[in-house]
Amino acid sequence: MASTPTTASTAASTASPVGARPTDRLAERHRHAPTPTPAGAAVRIDGVNVTYASSRRSGTVEAVRNATLHVEAGTIMALLGPSGCGKTSLLRAIAGLERPTAGSITIGDRTVSDASTWMHPEQRSVGMVFQDGALFPHLSVADNVAFGLRSASSRLSKRDRAARVAEMLELVDLADYGDRLPGTLSGGQQQRIALARSLAPQPSVLLLDEPFSALDTALRLQVRADVADIVRSVGVTTVFVTHDQDEAFVLGDRVAVLRDGHIEQVGTPDELYRHPHTRWVAGFVGEANLVRGRLRSDGTVDTLLGRVPVGTGAVRIDRDAPIDRSGAVAGDTSGEGSPVDVLVRPEQVDLRPGDCALVTNVEYYGHDVRYELELDDGSILAARTKSGDLHQRGDRLCVRFEGAATEAWSADGEDVEGASTLLTP
Amino acid sequence: MPVAFVVWRTLRLGASLPDTLAEVPAPLWRTVQLAVLVSATAAVVGTGLAWLTTRTDLPFRRAWRVALVLPLALPSFVGAAAFVAGLAPGGVIHDALTAVGITPPRRFRGLGASWLVMSAFTYPYVLLPVTARLANLRASLEESGRLLGLSAFQTFFRVTLPQLRSAIFGGALLVFLYSVSEFGAVQLLGYDTLTRVIYATRQTDRALSFASATVVLVLALGVVVLERSQRGRTSPDDRAAVASPDNVRLGWRVVPAITAVLAVLAVGLIVPLASLGTWARRGLADGRVAWGDLLDPAVSTATVAVIAAVVAVVVVFPVAAAAIRRPHPASQVASVSVVVGFAIPGIVIALSLAVLTLNTPVLNRFYQTSGLLILAYVIHFGSQALAGTETAVRAVPESLRESSRLLEPSATRRLWRVDWPLMRPGLLAAGGLVMLSTLKELPITLLLSPIGFDTLATEIWGSYEEGFYAATGLASIALVALSATLTWVLVLRRSEAVSS
Repeated sequence: MASTPTTASTAASTASPVGARPTDRLAERHRHAPTPTPAGAAVRIDGVNVTYASSRRSGTVEAVRNATLHVEAGTIMALLGPSGCGKTSLLRAIAGLERPTAGSITIGDRTVSDASTWMHPEQRSVGMVFQDGALFPHLSVADNVAFGLRSASSRLSKRDRAARVAEMLELVDLADYGDRLPGTLSGGQQQRIALARSLAPQPSVLLLDEPFSALDTALRLQVRADVADIVRSVGVTTVFVTHDQDEAFVLGDRVAVLRDGHIEQVGTPDELYRHPHTRWVAGFVGEANLVRGRLRSDGTVDTLLGRVPVGTGAVRIDRDAPIDRSGAVAGDTSGEGSPVDVLVRPEQVDLRPGDCALVTNVEYYGHDVRYELELDDGSILAARTKSGDLHQRGDRLCVRFEGAATEAWSADGEDVEGASTLLTP
Repeated sequence: MPVAFVVWRTLRLGASLPDTLAEVPAPLWRTVQLAVLVSATAAVVGTGLAWLTTRTDLPFRRAWRVALVLPLALPSFVGAAAFVAGLAPGGVIHDALTAVGITPPRRFRGLGASWLVMSAFTYPYVLLPVTARLANLRASLEESGRLLGLSAFQTFFRVTLPQLRSAIFGGALLVFLYSVSEFGAVQLLGYDTLTRVIYATRQTDRALSFASATVVLVLALGVVVLERSQRGRTSPDDRAAVASPDNVRLGWRVVPAITAVLAVLAVGLIVPLASLGTWARRGLADGRVAWGDLLDPAVSTATVAVIAAVVAVVVVFPVAAAAIRRPHPASQVASVSVVVGFAIPGIVIALSLAVLTLNTPVLNRFYQTSGLLILAYVIHFGSQALAGTETAVRAVPESLRESSRLLEPSATRRLWRVDWPLMRPGLLAAGGLVMLSTLKELPITLLLSPIGFDTLATEIWGSYEEGFYAATGLASIALVALSATLTWVLVLRRSEAVSS
């Protein structure tokens, strides 16, 4: 008992720098970051189908159809799509929690799943963070993190294990929480511990299944930034699932957009936003106006907003058949002069004084302002401008296209009613 | 009240106390031995079967899930009687063994016999909570275990089992309590536990009877306290499962698995029913017994059970309502004391009420009246009505009561239009559980029922004592049919509803 004061004071003195850490968390973290595993391992998915036995008697449901996706080593791939699109099934197939009915999956140079091969999840060297964290409620935080270090495949000594746990807790900035039980942590802390737990055995691939969706908005942004930071500093190949387009764009080096079990498009966030392959992707990754126009032989399109350049020169028939710059629609006889829908993002609409559109709605966001305008033919157009010269509801204006080259689709596709269609994600 | 009475009587023994206590350790040791063995067996068997029927690709899982709960419908004294009768010359087991050339054991009694019979009828107390826990365990926990490098087998022991711990522990403690208080089966199987001593000496050696009762009481309450303290320590993880994990493929192990399931069912259900059924059929065939004989006991059983159920719900309702609507130390004490009633072995309640009424001039005339019998049932089984009644009270939350008050000024009409429809399922479940327990109860009925008042349980008991196995068989079949129906309605239908 007599020694208590001394211990207490030592503890207090060592504790003070810990308390000071939040000011320079990032710097601190990078100093403690473990030597990155040489860039993780590439993941190759070829022609994978995932099928479920349906709960109804009618048999099976195809969750993923013929998915092909290559994730380069050390990069972050986002699987983006609405709920029920199969993105989680695809992730679980990589983990080995679902067995594909067709196709092959390769991690690094090991084929983990094909027609004749099936590697159990515990043999794949894959880490996964679940939506709910899935921390073992009966184990302390430190024991949770050490869990994967105590399996048969890992031969760490007790001391190395403790060191690794300390290192991981340091990495997720929860060094003092080792003795706590998971139930006493906040949702964000639980997710960080779950991340530490899955990174501790140095997996070649990290999988994240909607890891932030259970958190409330303010916390989500913070935890998202933390996780991105940690994952990049470790350099592990990462695949994560989200239904939130912001999240996919902010975190993903590349994004795969899924719809109804099918990969619609894979690309960088910028490619997806500016050059979506389909109308559906255009609308899913951001707000989109589809403006009716006539294709010209030089690859531009005449619309109510003026002449719009179609940048890649590819006018696309809905889904995947592109037409070339000359205006010859592949698989379609209509060429020059044929009606097309042009993608115009709200920020590509320039507002000018004039009398061709009525402002019907104004949403003020601070950094910018979103207007809804009704054109003379009755169709609705969304526009975004920097705040500043503010218009009021009921004002009349003119609209012009202003921006870089965009995409167009043959108007034969769907929805030929109005002159412009507003697609919102 | 009965608690205090028995303890007081024990302490009043004064000088003779040490002598009396000297006779207690031997039966106490036997009681503890049996209780430990039975609860350990029930824990292992119950957990194993729960896992097999929820987490593997065992064929006919749904059918097994239902069938494996059914032994709950057999009171253990009926099971014991069935085994003894089956092993007697002319019994099913005796004949079967003789047919394959094995000499049937001449005696079926003592620790081994009691252990087998009690385990076979109590493992569902573990099976049910563990199945429920497995069903709502988050799949991501087990999947995390796999991804962190454990095999399916290791995952069960290091991830799943710790999550099941509190369910297993709770169920096993219930079995322990049940074994400590068990009277009928050990009496029939001639295993001298404390409850048997209480019964045997209740008239000849009051002192020993009371001392044994006190010891059983302390043992039972100790277990309850232990259970409560354990419950407080585990951090419940009650987040519901998102998806159920993939079932373990058994492969060739399906053969031992099915064998195990069938063995448990054979001991807990098939053999006893076959044994009882055979005797009953023979009795009916040669006209020594008839279904008509059972009319009176069946009617009295049903009547007493229904009255006890209604009274129990009526008595417990204010306690539940107070505990939920106005949490207050006093209401907590009330609800705890209701629970304690269950922990007190039935025979202790019966003994203390019998002695209390006999020795108190004013209460004298209540001895062996149906009123006292029902009072004893309510004290003992009131706690079983508590959970259902609490559910019923919760079904009408404060906000709903307030808004219905604004819409329907008449209190009675409000009761009819709002409270009753919402509370009905909970109250019926509560009453049903009390009925089920009352049907299967033996010692209270034996000690307190009015002269000439036969229930199915006392009918079984009496005819067995006389060696009249045909009557035992017939009455048992009737009792099992009744309680199986109630078990089906109360336990199975509800657990199926939860799982689907």
